[in-house]
Amino acid sequence: MLTRDQFLLPLAALRTDEAIVTTMSVVRPWGRLTRRPELDLASADSAMGHAADLALGIALAQPQRKVISLNGDGSMLMTLGTLATIVGSGAENLVLIVVNNGTYEITGNQPLAGAGTLDFAGLAGAAGFPKALSFRDPEAWADAVPSLLRERGPIFVDVTVEPGSEGPIFRTPSEESEYLRVSLFDSARVLQNALHG
Amino acid sequence: MPPVHSAAELLESFLGLGATHLVGIPDNGSAALFESARTHPRIDLVTVTREGEAFALASGLWIGGGAPVVAIQNTGLLESGDALRGTAVRMGIPLLCLIGYRGHASMDRSGIDPFHRPDSTATLRRPDVDSTALLTEPTLEAWGIPHAVMEPGLEKEMVVAAWNRALDEDRPIALLLAHATA
Repeated sequence: MLTRDQFLLPLAALRTDEAIVTTMSVVRPWGRLTRRPELDLASADSAMGHAADLALGIALAQPQRKVISLNGDGSMLMTLGTLATIVGSGAENLVLIVVNNGTYEITGNQPLAGAGTLDFAGLAGAAGFPKALSFRDPEAWADAVPSLLRERGPIFVDVTVEPGSEGPIFRTPSEESEYLRVSLFDSARVLQNALHG
Repeated sequence: MPPVHSAAELLESFLGLGATHLVGIPDNGSAALFESARTHPRIDLVTVTREGEAFALASGLWIGGGAPVVAIQNTGLLESGDALRGTAVRMGIPLLCLIGYRGHASMDRSGIDPFHRPDSTATLRRPDVDSTALLTEPTLEAWGIPHAVMEPGLEKEMVVAAWNRALDEDRPIALLLAHATA
């Protein structure tokens, strides 16, 4: 099982011009690490469970750019059909990473339905993802990140991360994470401008 | 729902405005439109598994530089409330939405005004009226989405007007298909 830093630091160190959509328990931790906040969008103050399909839309419109969705496990369960949509769309530039902590962390770590028995990578593989991986070991994860950023996809990744204590997410000017200091309306336009700039 | 709207002409109207993607799930009324899009060389069809996905995916397409059109049935509109609210509405995405108006004829036959707000379970249980139709326009109004029923013969004008209004006002605009495409 990885700590949040063990999960996010290798990604933050190697990220260049990938667009990244975050949601739930990694919204703030990623916001503290990112060096390209203009290429990040937090699916917070947004729609329940729709970070992956939002990221897919960006990927389809930007086929030359890698797009990464840092999705929650609870969020993924809300829209499992998106696994089929991603495969059916033919997007080759999307990496869908499920942050698997087995709980609804934002509301106090209540366990997910099926926590501990769900095989997310198995579900993704059955949906037709050509590559569906699971990681529980920090070193194996760190070793795999370069290829995830390089290889054609779509790629599905399930990373087991220890539950944390992230609380509800708000968009306010005093937020530490830059992408939470503006409204969702403005954040969408910041990313749009960065993608075209 | 007799076929009235030309799928090919609707598609050409979208393309004339710069549309890049058709996103959604077909119903009987929009099946011809989806079939036209599936084989058209200048528009990409993205079929989703639930209607809420269509709004999130289309919002992402717009952020990435695309110009999507969403096409779903009104039953799916009711399913997708939070996705519509939390993506296209809250992000201010200029988005043309075609909504199949299942049950519109049943309201016509029963003399019910489409703007009627069903205020009792008895209304929603009426066997002669499709409750999806009863809830369609009140739902769009609750979400703050301007809407109009597509009028036969005025398709191109209505599509252009809705598209331009969506761009001017940074919001989704809905056109309701009470008749089928062919």
